[in-house]
Amino acid sequence: MGRIRSGAEASENTTDSEETKVAGRRRGVLIPCLLFAASLLAVGIPVWLIQPFRHQTPRDLEVSYFLRRWSPVGVSILAGFTLFWVFRLWRGSPGLLRRRTLVLASALSLFTAWFAHQNHFEWKFRPPGKTEFSTPAEASFLKDEDRVLGVEINGEAAAYPIRALAYHHLVHDRVGGVELVATY
Amino acid sequence: MWERNLNGKDLQFHLSGINNENFIMKDEQTGSWWQQVSGRAIQGPLKGSQLKRFSHDDLTFATWKREHPSTRILEPDPSAQEEYAPADWEAETAELPVVTPRGKSEPLEDRDLVAGVSNQDAARAYLVADLARQGPVNDRLGTTPILVLPFEDGKSVRVFERTAGGQVLEFFAGTGEELGRLVDATTGSTWDFRGTALAGPLSGSQMARMDVLLDYWFDWRTYHPDTDVYRAGL
Repeated sequence: MGRIRSGAEASENTTDSEETKVAGRRRGVLIPCLLFAASLLAVGIPVWLIQPFRHQTPRDLEVSYFLRRWSPVGVSILAGFTLFWVFRLWRGSPGLLRRRTLVLASALSLFTAWFAHQNHFEWKFRPPGKTEFSTPAEASFLKDEDRVLGVEINGEAAAYPIRALAYHHLVHDRVGGVELVATY
Repeated sequence: MWERNLNGKDLQFHLSGINNENFIMKDEQTGSWWQQVSGRAIQGPLKGSQLKRFSHDDLTFATWKREHPSTRILEPDPSAQEEYAPADWEAETAELPVVTPRGKSEPLEDRDLVAGVSNQDAARAYLVADLARQGPVNDRLGTTPILVLPFEDGKSVRVFERTAGGQVLEFFAGTGEELGRLVDATTGSTWDFRGTALAGPLSGSQMARMDVLLDYWFDWRTYHPDTDVYRAGL
């Protein structure tokens, strides 16, 4: 009786250790995937929260600011960990499926790290390059009825056509000795 | 129009987000977030700071160059010009959705264009379409007597403190020889749209300008929750 039982225990132990190994390998691959998921959330949440035509609460802004503030550093660190894990797992000669997963996790982690450093709002609304100015006589690009924002400081007058401002949103200038930003 | 200098430091701003259809700008120097419409820092190390506002006009090119013949005008950026809003952008913008929750009994539609004026006592919204029909409005904002002055093109509005020479003035639109000018009933002086007396006993006087924001109703009331609305006596 005793021997049979001990044999059964032995065989159970063997199965256990094989399962642990398999589970361990799965966990190994899971870690870079989880790291990537975390970095995706860090960059994705503010993109979602502060998108146009969505109602923003003060809390949304707080969370977005925090994530935008820290994601360039945080997501780069996560990408570093991901690459480190991929390197470790790669040395264990993983199978084709696992290798593909690891390559994908690395590529996506690098992509999110790059995205965390981007200002995607300026992709669509680029700041003006060099700002150049015309006199009223030269300004053939404007019609009389076009609206402008005008400012006069210390005797110097400058006008910013609204259609240009509505695209760039921000124009830096110096008028009458004052450093200004025109916004619309 | 905001001064970029804050406590001796020049700030460079970038478009950095949107808060209920008003954009957020970020300064390069501290990374703080600023609300475009209020010039106030809402997040980051400078949270609570306020940029100094410079009064600006929002008017047609024709009016601006007539008043400021030596003005310079920002040229379109050739690399971005195709992305600029079309000529009929005002009509297009008026169709865009609004996402801020609406109160139970709002006096105006979300995208009604208003001229917003505020001081330490009160905030008031004037429907631009009403002003264009009614002409100059002699009003009082809290204790301050003000003149709300629509331009003849119906697109722009200026606001003045209607006091000069120690008196409060009542204005009406000039007729006949004074067409296109203002006359104050108090002294009979003639005034132009810059708030300068051209003729009469107060000739040479200048009324103090007040900031006016041409804005949509939903945005104005978001940043001025205590605002009331001027009821035109049409």
